[in-house]
Formats: sequence, C-alpha cells, structure tokens
Amino acid sequence: MKRILLLAACASITACSGHIASTQVSELDEVRAMIQKAKAAGAEKCAPALQAKAVAGLYHAAHELDEGSANPVSENSDLISGALSNAKRAYAKAKKGCGKPAAPEVITLEGVFFETNSAELTASSTATLDRAVKALQKRSTIKVEVAAHTDSRGKASYNLDLSNRRAASVMAYLVAHGVSADRLTSKGYGESQARADNATVAGRAKNRRVELRIK
Amino acid sequence: MKKISLLAVAMLMCAGTASAGAWTDSVDERADALTSQLKGNNSYHAHLARELADVAMEEKSQHDIDVARAFMNKAEEHAAQAGGSK
Repeated sequence: MKRILLLAACASITACSGHIASTQVSELDEVRAMIQKAKAAGAEKCAPALQAKAVAGLYHAAHELDEGSANPVSENSDLISGALSNAKRAYAKAKKGCGKPAAPEVITLEGVFFETNSAELTASSTATLDRAVKALQKRSTIKVEVAAHTDSRGKASYNLDLSNRRAASVMAYLVAHGVSADRLTSKGYGESQARADNATVAGRAKNRRVELRIK
Repeated sequence: MKKISLLAVAMLMCAGTASAGAWTDSVDERADALTSQLKGNNSYHAHLARELADVAMEEKSQHDIDVARAFMNKAEEHAAQAGGSK
C-alpha cells in the first residue's frame, strides 16, 4: 500500500511539473482551422508576426481551457477570439501578398534630358541629378539600377543602344559626384517599356525617361 | 532498505521529468537570453519564440512556474528553429 501511495505521489508530481495542454479540443476547432488555412496560404512567410501571434494564442488558450473552472470564461473566450482574429488577419495578408514579389521602387528622374540622338546630358539636367546624388547619399545602403528608355521612333536596335548609352551616362555622372559605383548598375530598355502612347508628342516625351530602380 | 530503494526509484522518475527543462536558469533569464539570441530575426519561428516567451512570463507572473517553464521550453524549441540573430 505504501509503495502504491509513493508511486502515486510521484506520478502526481510528474503530472504537475508543467506541460502545454493539447490544442485538439472542440473550443479551438475554428482557430486551428483558420491557422491551417493561413499557413497553407503562406502566412508563415508573408505574415510571420500575425501567424506567430495566432499560434501562440492557440497554445495559451489551450492551456487556459485545460485549467477549466480555475479561469473566468470571459478570459478564455478573449484568448480564443484574439487567436482567431490574428489567424484571420494572417490569412488575409498572406492571400493578398504571397506569391507576388514586391514591386520595386522606381523613381523617374524628371528633368533629365539628352541632346538629340546622343547620350550627352543637357546642362539643365544637372539640377535633377544633383538632387539624386544627395538622395542616394542619404539612403546609403540601397543599390540602384539606372534605367533609360526611349520613344519608338527609329529602329528598335538603335533605340536599345541609345538607351544603354544614356543609362551609362547618368550612372557616370552619379559616380563622378560621389555615389559609389558598387551601388549602381545601368541598363537601357530601348522602346520596350513605353508608358504612354508613342503616336503623340506628349506620349513620346513621357516615354523618353531615366529612372532609378531601387533593388 | 527496501523503502529507501523505492524512494530513490521514485525520485529518479521525478527527476527525469524535471530535467526536460533548464531548471537551473530562471524563466526571466531564459527569456532575456532568447530575446538577445533572436535580435533582428523576423522569421515566423523567431516571432513565435518571442510570443511563447511572453506567455511564459505571464504564467510566471501568475505564479504558475511549471507552466511558465513548459512555455519557455517550447519558445526555445522555436528559437532554435529560427536560427539565431539576423
């Protein structure tokens, strides 16, 4: 009898030594299902903070439910609704944002012009480029592609070559004025990325442009 | 003698459970170490580790020390999966 009592005492110590209760209880069905749905939508990658809050909330709620009558019902329902809310938000965020690479930040350098059929910058371009230099020096950790575009007049191959030379010309200016060459690349896109109608003068003017594409 | 042997066996059984967590460190110390270890890490496992450590601290504040340790154990499992600071 003493042996049984001793073993029972030890078993009770073991039982009280702390564990996280099972989450497989009916009160948590909806939370578990939503967490799974969010996970399947990619929430661990796209909404890691919200998904982690939901999962931690699930464990916490499971523990409080396991304690049964020791806790006020409202406290448990708050934990459950909080976990559910976070899981729903994680799902919504994942559904919206996963699988789509973030759009790169593109800054069009308004006011940068070249001589006709040339990569030589006009004198009026320097004000814009000097502002770009200052901005790049402030954001000293970013890397940038200098991208140049032409309108569609002339041959595509010529326009591609011209845009490559113009992009290189802008990059050279930036480097000459203090931006590290390690942070910059240049690329011409020719007429391939028109953003306005090449049939109009105004459209062609919009298409001839230089951009800074933040990597 | 028999009683002593039985007691020793029983204590060893209990000790096995106890050794599952780092009982030598306090929950606070372990939470601090975890926070420091995961500094700058914003992965899912890092977030989950921090959230679980918060739950552990809350349980500790309610004097539920065994449950606090259990949550810290789980937090440390996820911290290990998170792969340290970034």
